Amino acid sequence: MKLSNDERPLARKENLVIKETADELLIYDRERDTAHCLNQTAALVWRYCDGKRNVGAITDRISKDLHTPVDENIVWCAVEQLGRDRLLEERLVPPPQIAGLTRRQMIRALGVAAVVAVPVVTSIVAPTPAQAVSCLPDGDSCSSPALCCSNLCSAGTCGT
Amino acid sequence: MKKVDRLGWAVGFSLTTYGIRVGVRSNDPSGLERICDRLPSEWKESSLSVVDRLYSIIIGGQGQRNFRRFNLLYGDHVRLARSVEADDVFDTFESDLRLTVAEFARHRVFVHAGVVGWKGRAIIIPGRSYSGKSTLIAELVRAGATYYSDEYAVFDSQGRVHPFKKALELRSAGEVRQTRVEVEQLGGQSGEGPLPVQLVVVTQFKDGARWRPRRLSGGPGILQLFSHTVSARRSPERALTALQNLAQTAEFLRGPRGEASEIARTILKRAEQKK
Repeated sequence: MKLSNDERPLARKENLVIKETADELLIYDRERDTAHCLNQTAALVWRYCDGKRNVGAITDRISKDLHTPVDENIVWCAVEQLGRDRLLEERLVPPPQIAGLTRRQMIRALGVAAVVAVPVVTSIVAPTPAQAVSCLPDGDSCSSPALCCSNLCSAGTCGT
Repeated sequence: MKKVDRLGWAVGFSLTTYGIRVGVRSNDPSGLERICDRLPSEWKESSLSVVDRLYSIIIGGQGQRNFRRFNLLYGDHVRLARSVEADDVFDTFESDLRLTVAEFARHRVFVHAGVVGWKGRAIIIPGRSYSGKSTLIAELVRAGATYYSDEYAVFDSQGRVHPFKKALELRSAGEVRQTRVEVEQLGGQSGEGPLPVQLVVVTQFKDGARWRPRRLSGGPGILQLFSHTVSARRSPERALTALQNLAQTAEFLRGPRGEASEIARTILKRAEQKK
């Protein structure tokens, strides 16, 4: 983790599948088998994390795009979440007023005053095939615990 | 050569289904006859000798001194089932083949979900087992919707959903085992062609819950479907492309529900509204 206000966040691009919906961005991380949905604000910040702009410059750029002043803490909030979800090459340490806040606390601190939406990154772990489908009831034949509703597969039978 | 290959196989054939090449062999011709009843509706016999997955079924039958021999099922070289009841082995064959097809299908994306058609558009209900998915699908069919599937929503690259023909599998309250019910027994009919998606309903039965769903935007809605996508890890690009395309026409709703019979008509009415 880097500790400087002049650090320039760089979005990770390798081993990612990127898809756009209306205002949001879907990113699949092939290394970790996780899928993320970035809301509009988080998606804008991620796009501008080019390794050339610092957080201040990213804030200015987004303010121009949205035609409204944006609080730098909002960008830090996004950078913090993106770093935590390994969507940046390197995780940056946010300034003290942001560090350690949960998203809920962040929303409380910024929400009322914020003109733009608070950045949100929603993440899930991609399911294995067995996790995605029906589970087998106790007593059924099984080949792995993940196939059973009870998550127990002993001697080829669920739940024993 | 593996042990299973050295056993004597009396009969066998190969088939293709959803672009997957499957081989089946058995020590008893009656085993193959029963296998044909358990295949997905979209399959055709093939002359290929190289397959993606090979199933070997040993029918135990009656042994000496009235002992019953075990029936065995192998998927490639791994034993999948061993039971004195032949039905158990065929059930495992059916569910394993469906899962294999769902994961490896070449041109389709399989999402674990129920599907009905309503006025030329589809309603998708994703969910795991015991979420009440099949019960809700049955109620929607009773209310006039066309049956597409109670297990998999099968999407093409444009995000349209195709029928996955099979009997509904319904559970009575407190029962673990499912009962197969043909759609005609519910007074409904099966759909034929692909449909664009109108509504995705993410819901789970909760005793006493009132149906007050929250609307999800496209991104989180797609994540909900993706979390039930069988090929999510194997081909995320293809899966996300199909889901991204369906999100262009679909509305996503999420919330717990009470009795399926109470909300079926509300869901159909909602599906008539434009996105």
